[in-house]
Amino acid sequence: MKVIETKELFKTYTETEVEVKAVNGISLSFTEGEFAAIVGPSGCGKTTLLNLLGGLDKPTSGSIIIDGKDISSLSSRQMIDFRMNNIGFVFQAYNLIPVLTAKENAEFIMNLQKKPKAEREARISELFKAIGIEGKENIRPSRLSGGQQQRVAVARALASKPKFILADEPTANLDSKATTELLDIMRKLNEEENITFIFATHDQRVIDRAKRIINLDDGIVVKDETEVV
Amino acid sequence: MAWRNIWRNKLRSSVVIMAVTIGLFGGLAATGIMKGMVVDMVKNTLETQVSNIQIHNKDFMANKEVNFLMKNTSEIISKIKTDPVVAAVSERTKSFGMASTASKGIGVIINGVEPENEKKVTQLFNKIEEENGTYFTSDKKNRIIISENLAKKLNVKLKSKIVITFQDYEGNLTGASFKVEGIYNTHNSMFDEQNVFVKKTDLDRLLNMPENTSHEIAVLLNDFQDTPETVERIKKAVPNYLVEGWYDIDPYLKLTSSLITYMLFIFMSIIMLALGFAIVNTMLMVILERTKELGMIMAIGMNRFKVFKMIMFETSMLAVVGGIVGIVVSILFTWHFGNVGIDISEVAQGFESLGYSSVMHPVLELIDYIEVIIMVIITGIIASIFPTIRALKMKPAEAVRD
Repeated sequence: MKVIETKELFKTYTETEVEVKAVNGISLSFTEGEFAAIVGPSGCGKTTLLNLLGGLDKPTSGSIIIDGKDISSLSSRQMIDFRMNNIGFVFQAYNLIPVLTAKENAEFIMNLQKKPKAEREARISELFKAIGIEGKENIRPSRLSGGQQQRVAVARALASKPKFILADEPTANLDSKATTELLDIMRKLNEEENITFIFATHDQRVIDRAKRIINLDDGIVVKDETEVV
Repeated sequence: MAWRNIWRNKLRSSVVIMAVTIGLFGGLAATGIMKGMVVDMVKNTLETQVSNIQIHNKDFMANKEVNFLMKNTSEIISKIKTDPVVAAVSERTKSFGMASTASKGIGVIINGVEPENEKKVTQLFNKIEEENGTYFTSDKKNRIIISENLAKKLNVKLKSKIVITFQDYEGNLTGASFKVEGIYNTHNSMFDEQNVFVKKTDLDRLLNMPENTSHEIAVLLNDFQDTPETVERIKKAVPNYLVEGWYDIDPYLKLTSSLITYMLFIFMSIIMLALGFAIVNTMLMVILERTKELGMIMAIGMNRFKVFKMIMFETSMLAVVGGIVGIVVSILFTWHFGNVGIDISEVAQGFESLGYSSVMHPVLELIDYIEVIIMVIITGIIASIFPTIRALKMKPAEAVRD
């Protein structure tokens, strides 16, 4: 079942004197349960494509269909709600809120969704167990290691049960051990719970674990390989 | 979350809160002191001489001559006393003359009062310290109460004799010797140097005043705020004479007490404007530091209205917390020094000549605090607009990447 589909997607930046086509007519689709990596050299359009897929940016032309709905036509207010209910984000710099505890960070989206306390507690407890940070619930991010912070970020992305997770360079700030542990957790969640992960990365360790690798160059898909592991 | 955000950088938030606290306290304390001085001056003036309402012969106020008197004053007083808001009434005979001793002569206003009635209307009897004599306790004729200032100038003491000379009702120059029975001090040196007090019976006799007449009727009300309506009622009851409220008798009093209300507003507006800029500056720094975080929370689903509310709450709280502390400190300051007083007599000797007391008692009313609270809230809201707009202009995709 397709969770995302892009059709003739273009994103052109015209702020500078030179027009930059960051995404140059990409048509792609992702099905449920994929563990895909969008790879390529710096400036090839990985992050731009990920931002378009996540509705953080609007395409210059083309369409992005998620769950049968073209999100490129949504207003910015509708887009915020759509992101909250359908898409999970994991960022390179974790981006946890320092004044909130690990648990409060993880349940942040559920709070925005006004989910009842009991449901939030059950979900966070389940997730913290699944990603191996049980007992860290009441600790603030500054007292967690980079790997632990990124796990909390993954828990936050998963808490609202999104249709897919977009992760932009999630391992860039992690050491080898933390990277391996995080990837193990993500892969396990992908295999056992059929959660869809789409990465933008140039980290070979992530590429090695991906089931599908999409190579971009100058905003164009130059290679799309599945099940290379 | 917004509350926790405020304390993210404790030092910075504390500095802003402290600035608001000190600014508000400074403004409120200064206003309280000024207001206290004016209240003291108004109270002192009303209590010592003016009372709330005065009635005169229409020509007396313009010419100050003894023959412009009011007749049948006992009937007028009876009529006034029927009004339920009237607390006490006293009539006075007034004359203008010279108080002389062997060494010096000074022009004075001679107030002939009915001691018992006057005590109910004005508080001059309370302005005589125990060691400075009494307020007409002697039954003997020709006793006089003078001020400390005048006593010094005339070089007299208690029981000294002063010769008072003036024109009588028929225009003849007359005079008599008076023995000093009491020496008062109202802390209003201008009033003190001009006014001496004798018994009305003595002055009436010396002036050859007709029976049942006087120059001035002073009326004290249970609540001085009833003055305007009562003046209108008395005008109807006594149509032939001039009836005036304290604000007409002494317009300076009215002007000063009205001015102080505007001063609080102007003073606090300037302070709040300066504090507003400090808060805006701080919050802009906060937004800049949290660009990534704000981008992230907008990316994962916090809508712009919630971000707006959060930043506005954080900004307003800086002003409100500082405001609350500032107001509490001001309340304590006003309460303490309102009771104890601040004595500035050593540095401000000329104050008393302007009618102000050299012991200041700061006064702030509930309405003043309410006014300041509203100003703090408005400042908080206005100061939050610019940082909030800056935050809302952020594009999540760019903010997260920055």
